[in-house]
Amino acid sequence: MMAIKRYLNKNSSIAPLAFFRICFGLLLFISICRFWSRGWIESLYIDPKFHFTFYGFDFIQPLGNYSYILFLICALSALMVALGMYFRISSSLLFLSFTYIELMDKTYYLNHYYFISLISFLLIFTPANRAYSIDSLRNKSIQTTQIPRWYIDAFKLMLGILYFYAGLAKVNSDWLLNAMPLKIWLPAKNDLPIIGPLFNFEITAYIFSWLGCVYDLSIPFLLLNKRTRPFAYIAVVVFHLLTGLLFPIGMFPAIMTVAALVFFSENFHHKILDFIFKKLPQFKPEFNSLYIPKNRRITLWMFACFFIIQLAFPFRYLAYPGELFWTEEGYRFSWRVMLMEKAGYAQFKVKDSSGHITVIDNREFLTPQQEKMMATQADMILQFAHYLKQQFEQKGNSQVEIYVDSYVSLNGRLGKTFVKPDFDLTKVDESFQHKNWIQPFNEDIKGF
Amino acid sequence: MKSAFVRLTLILFGISLLISCEKDKKTTSNEGDGKDRAVLLTRYADSLVNPAYLDFKTEFDNMKNSANAFIADPDIIKLQNLQESWENAYLNWQGTELFDFGPAEVNTLRNFFNIYPADVTGILNNISNTSANLEVPASYPQQGFPALDYLLNGVGSTDTAIVQFYKDPVDGAKRQAYLIRIIDRMDLLFTSVQNEWLGAFRDDFISKTGLDISSSTSKMVNGLVLHYERYIRSGKIGIPSGILNGGIAAPEKSESYYRKGLSKSLLLKAHNAYYDFFTGTSFNGKQAGTSLQTYLDALGAKDNASGKLLSNIIIEQMDLIKQKIVALNPDIAAQISNDPSSTNDLYNAMQTLVRLLKVDMTSAMSITITYTDNDGD
Repeated sequence: MMAIKRYLNKNSSIAPLAFFRICFGLLLFISICRFWSRGWIESLYIDPKFHFTFYGFDFIQPLGNYSYILFLICALSALMVALGMYFRISSSLLFLSFTYIELMDKTYYLNHYYFISLISFLLIFTPANRAYSIDSLRNKSIQTTQIPRWYIDAFKLMLGILYFYAGLAKVNSDWLLNAMPLKIWLPAKNDLPIIGPLFNFEITAYIFSWLGCVYDLSIPFLLLNKRTRPFAYIAVVVFHLLTGLLFPIGMFPAIMTVAALVFFSENFHHKILDFIFKKLPQFKPEFNSLYIPKNRRITLWMFACFFIIQLAFPFRYLAYPGELFWTEEGYRFSWRVMLMEKAGYAQFKVKDSSGHITVIDNREFLTPQQEKMMATQADMILQFAHYLKQQFEQKGNSQVEIYVDSYVSLNGRLGKTFVKPDFDLTKVDESFQHKNWIQPFNEDIKGF
Repeated sequence: MKSAFVRLTLILFGISLLISCEKDKKTTSNEGDGKDRAVLLTRYADSLVNPAYLDFKTEFDNMKNSANAFIADPDIIKLQNLQESWENAYLNWQGTELFDFGPAEVNTLRNFFNIYPADVTGILNNISNTSANLEVPASYPQQGFPALDYLLNGVGSTDTAIVQFYKDPVDGAKRQAYLIRIIDRMDLLFTSVQNEWLGAFRDDFISKTGLDISSSTSKMVNGLVLHYERYIRSGKIGIPSGILNGGIAAPEKSESYYRKGLSKSLLLKAHNAYYDFFTGTSFNGKQAGTSLQTYLDALGAKDNASGKLLSNIIIEQMDLIKQKIVALNPDIAAQISNDPSSTNDLYNAMQTLVRLLKVDMTSAMSITITYTDNDGD
């Protein structure tokens, strides 16, 4: 107890937090611009007829052409966060708009989007705008040099959870003993200059699998330790450069590489900030002052609850029977990154009350990417089946039954039937209950 | 605590090295062999696509010459010559339709060559309207081989009646003109696709060795999978048999509906060409070589449970399908009308193959069946 109290009373310079805020806001701003410039707002959120919403968040839907406004709000709030302008409002808007975007269609679910949502949520409750910001320039009374240390440690902890849990998820027989899915993914890159030929060797996939696992599990600790930190950071850079080169993961490597700087010392951050603000000395706090949060207790309890949930939530898969990689029940929001090469095929049959069967051409309703993601994920299969039911009922067919002929291959195994073919998908609603209409996997992937 | 952790990871890493060395011994010494996609693409361009296109062009030109001879002075002998050369060209087309990647895909060659059933009303309208637009999607079934099928085999119940159709004092000239118009149009479209392959496209095709969505291998495999699923399984069997439409048979939707007894040969030709493509059998000389099959084998794609190579599973399924095709009535429309159980059975076998190609093969090759570019994790 005493130790906790003593820890909570420790202070730190605001510099790492302010720097983190600036980088995070800028990178997000660039991310949104990149997303926009590639035409993805239109092709991912406006063009599709149907969207896979999240269970419990069905009211969160793309807004048609107004989706552009949503992205505009998100981009501008990210920029304002970077500038530290109207921070409480801009960080709240950033969290809300980004999370809204993320929840519009789970086809595009990415762990790093979830990470951004969480970070922007945490930022709202921090004094990150009290130095090196427009807010602190306009209202000098909020200027701060020292803040409670736990504000900064919260971000380290969040990063640590991401890495460690991602590493834990790699401790499984497919990843470590079969080098799957890297054994499939690496030869696809064998035409890269210099390193390409290495990927023709199976041993490369094993080495990468093991190094990746060890990296994820150990990097938070190596970054925390002052002596190992420089080497750890080199590893961070190399790791993310390599993954960025090998896989289509967009801005994620850049965001992680920059975010990991938060582990560095106050001095380090002072030097960077001094350099950046050399020509703009007015942004530097004028005198030393310590920030003490007004509702310290509430904030602390909220942070504590947040992290307890973060630590526990990825383990919810334990509540479900069956193989996690197969059913994906409890798979999302758990830092399970790049663990599976999964491909599927799902052909729906709609049987109306007269017994007439229509075979559905998925392309009529879904984009290729939606179809691809749907074919391997049971909740999306169910959601699409219910959408089809609705479509048929609107055309005057009552009492339709819907069956799916599905086939899924996981990590190089020969494909097999995924959903019980004689199960009428209109008979069941989405819930957090186990989906007993998924065909058992009948194989064991050992580990986390 | 930390030193224990480091020690543990070192031990795990050591084990991994041992395991992988163990596995390494079993495989051949040169693992790079067979995984070089530049070699794969070169072979497909030079030993399969280009020779097949060249051969098709010869057959097509024969048909074109017969057509010109026919309209110069229509009679039964010249009609029968034309019907025969149309049949040969149509059969030959089955061996080129599957190259639906590169120029053929960009120019949607297939849409203008083989969308059936033929739109008879549209064809008759186009005959009277000489400026009818043949570029729009609605015009697909009014041209190409299916339209020729109707024009050469379906406009009269006997060959004499068909010749009369073209000798009609009022409409004969327009009918002849439309026949030539669509053949010339096919010639133009095909020649431009072929010229691209003979020109700069070939090198471009070989140079795009990646596996991203703009790469040659990815486009080729996506095109091939779509070809079997939509144009062999659905087009030739699924739709006419009614399997894709609540079991309501529609034999009139089968390929070469007017030329009775040809549809099975067309299907068999298309299936065999697919087989040859998968196994990399060269067009000239029928020599096996670098192919999707050898590429899959080099990747070590296999069924872990039985240890059987994925390529063998695919080939066995293709063999099974071939047997079922051979057992069909020469006329698929007749087969569907008389005994739909054989076509249903064939459809199911094809469905199994589609899954193997679309899911197992693409997954093993790390090709995503997707046409959008987006981040993943």
